[in-house]
Amino acid sequence: MSSRADGGWGTAIIVALAMITVLIAASGRGARSPARHAYVIPVIVAALRFGPTGGVVVSVGAALLYAPFVLPEIEWLGFTERGADGLASLTTVLLVGLLTGAVAQRSRRARGHYETALAVQRALAEARPLESILHQLRSTLRDGLRMTDVGLLVLEGDRALRCGPLSGADLLPECAAARFVPDAGGHPRPLRQLVVPLTARGETVGALSVERIGEIAAAEQAGIVTLAAHVGLALENARLASRQRRFADELAEKIADATRRSEEMDRAKSAFVATVSHELRTPLTALLGFGELLATRPFSSEEVHRLAGIVHRETERLVRIVDDLLDLSRVERGLPPTLRRTAVDVAPAVLSAVEMFRRQQLAHHFEIDCADGVGAIEADPDAVDRILKNLISNALKYSPPGLVTLRVRGVGHLIEFQIEDCGRGIPADALPRLFEPYYRAPHDAGAARGTGLGLAIVKSLVEAHGGSVSVATIVDTGTRVSFTIPRARVSPATARQRER
Amino acid sequence: MAWAASDRQDVAMAPATRTAPLILLSIAALASVLHDAGAAAYLAMPLWLWRVSASGRLLALGLGTPISRAAIGAGALIGSALGAHLLVAASMTLGYRPRVMEAAVARGVAYDLGAQVLATECFFRGALFNRAQRRWSFGAAAALSTAACLARYLIDPRLPGSAEILCGMVFYITLLSIANCWLFWRFGSLVPGMLSALMFFAAYRTIAE
Repeated sequence: MSSRADGGWGTAIIVALAMITVLIAASGRGARSPARHAYVIPVIVAALRFGPTGGVVVSVGAALLYAPFVLPEIEWLGFTERGADGLASLTTVLLVGLLTGAVAQRSRRARGHYETALAVQRALAEARPLESILHQLRSTLRDGLRMTDVGLLVLEGDRALRCGPLSGADLLPECAAARFVPDAGGHPRPLRQLVVPLTARGETVGALSVERIGEIAAAEQAGIVTLAAHVGLALENARLASRQRRFADELAEKIADATRRSEEMDRAKSAFVATVSHELRTPLTALLGFGELLATRPFSSEEVHRLAGIVHRETERLVRIVDDLLDLSRVERGLPPTLRRTAVDVAPAVLSAVEMFRRQQLAHHFEIDCADGVGAIEADPDAVDRILKNLISNALKYSPPGLVTLRVRGVGHLIEFQIEDCGRGIPADALPRLFEPYYRAPHDAGAARGTGLGLAIVKSLVEAHGGSVSVATIVDTGTRVSFTIPRARVSPATARQRER
Repeated sequence: MAWAASDRQDVAMAPATRTAPLILLSIAALASVLHDAGAAAYLAMPLWLWRVSASGRLLALGLGTPISRAAIGAGALIGSALGAHLLVAASMTLGYRPRVMEAAVARGVAYDLGAQVLATECFFRGALFNRAQRRWSFGAAAALSTAACLARYLIDPRLPGSAEILCGMVFYITLLSIANCWLFWRFGSLVPGMLSALMFFAAYRTIAE
């Protein structure tokens, strides 16, 4: 409703009142003039246009204009039928203005509340963060309810989202029902405030605080309480929808992640099959070739001894690969490796493992730092041998010719083994997946032969012994793999006696 | 006035300031009794009020702050409309004829300007209605203020005893009081109500005997 249109209507009403008064005066019949009934027309128009205030003001104006025709008759003639008729006309005009204005205002307010409720539903239906929605909701409610200001408090889990003035809503925990404050203070004119809890499913989910410099009548308060019930439900629906959207996003992310991992696993398995085939084929080719040579050609005993040594080494390699595959199969089924635990002297075990690689006359050289009397571990000797050989083999494969250091020391009830090389190191992003089966760090995949099972098997064996394994690496400086195994409770000699 | 403006402790009036209006009114009353021109002493009261307002001690009454043109216009319109209606109705019913150029009228207007209107508006609107509207609705506060205002005029010993005048007084004072409550509620200042009452009582003084 524009102020220009209001001004036009106001002027028209004043002109109509003046014209009716002139008509009554011109008729010569005074208070009995039929034109007096026309006063109700501008009064009704004013009440419909401006509400009860407009209706009352115009009806009082009409009564004031009409009174000079009625009162002299009463003054001169006493309280006659004509005087009573005039007073009834005066009263009728006043009542019509008041009642029409009240009905018009109630109707306008109800329509306003429905429109506001609809605007609230629309605002809350949008797929936006709750904070942003609250700001729009505040603006919608302020305009729709014609309030000076509106505050919103929404409880979201452990946190409370606030929007606008909340001096009254801050007291929400003690305020289970709507509370009207006649003057919230802070203004020269009374600042009416109504704080209404927002409820959904029987629980308080927030609070709505409306403030107006002006009246908030009882009927309007009841309407706001009803509106707050709609807002509470709509807010709860919006929150549930928001949570559902968040869950859906998280689920989609998890599915995408799982799909990606599955595809990676699929690619790794394909690569693994190709690698294992190649790894199996190499010793088998050697066995086939040298077997055929031995079967078809005559050789000297020294040559036969050399060829038999090659066949033996290739067979050992084949056995190692098959053992790894069997262990992997157990790991994938969630079964721990089969262990035959006994007390194992650490120093001889380390020396034995290193000795095998020394015999191969590699370009690397070894340094063993094993404290005297470091003691024994409670372990399967074969498993310990496989762990050490696997880690030493990795150190040799993934580092240039240089120093490989083995350190052994006691740490409380554990014995810690460290195998350190001076290679290229491992990128940080590859570290978390280093112990996964089939996984090979991208930069190592083509650098050396391997199935990608070694570290997965090392981890399963170490953990089966009650220890742990970790990797520390610095790119271009080297890698250190550490693992721990619990100390033996009895000495190896005692263990051997018991076994006998 | 001290009670009306005592919402804020930080601007509470000193005892000397509180007693000043009593002294000024006593002097003005004495002066007006001694000589017609002595009523001009009542004009000291608006000056005193303007001075106190400028110090910011009457902000609770909307005095000492800028007043909008709409507020002034509304106050003037209501007061002049009621005053004009009173003149028309009184002349048509009771045969009163307005007297303008008389010393009694000037004395009455000076009294209204310096004492009656200021005191009435400060007490019934500034103190009573202002406090009531901060506890109850506008309607309840206006009803209380109007009832108290009517009681004040009804117990006035100088009020003529005729039924016509009594009815007219109730009618106009009720309308004036409600209108002034609305002016104070709408604009947050006593000035429009004072203007409205002053214009109405100025019209009244021209027919008062």
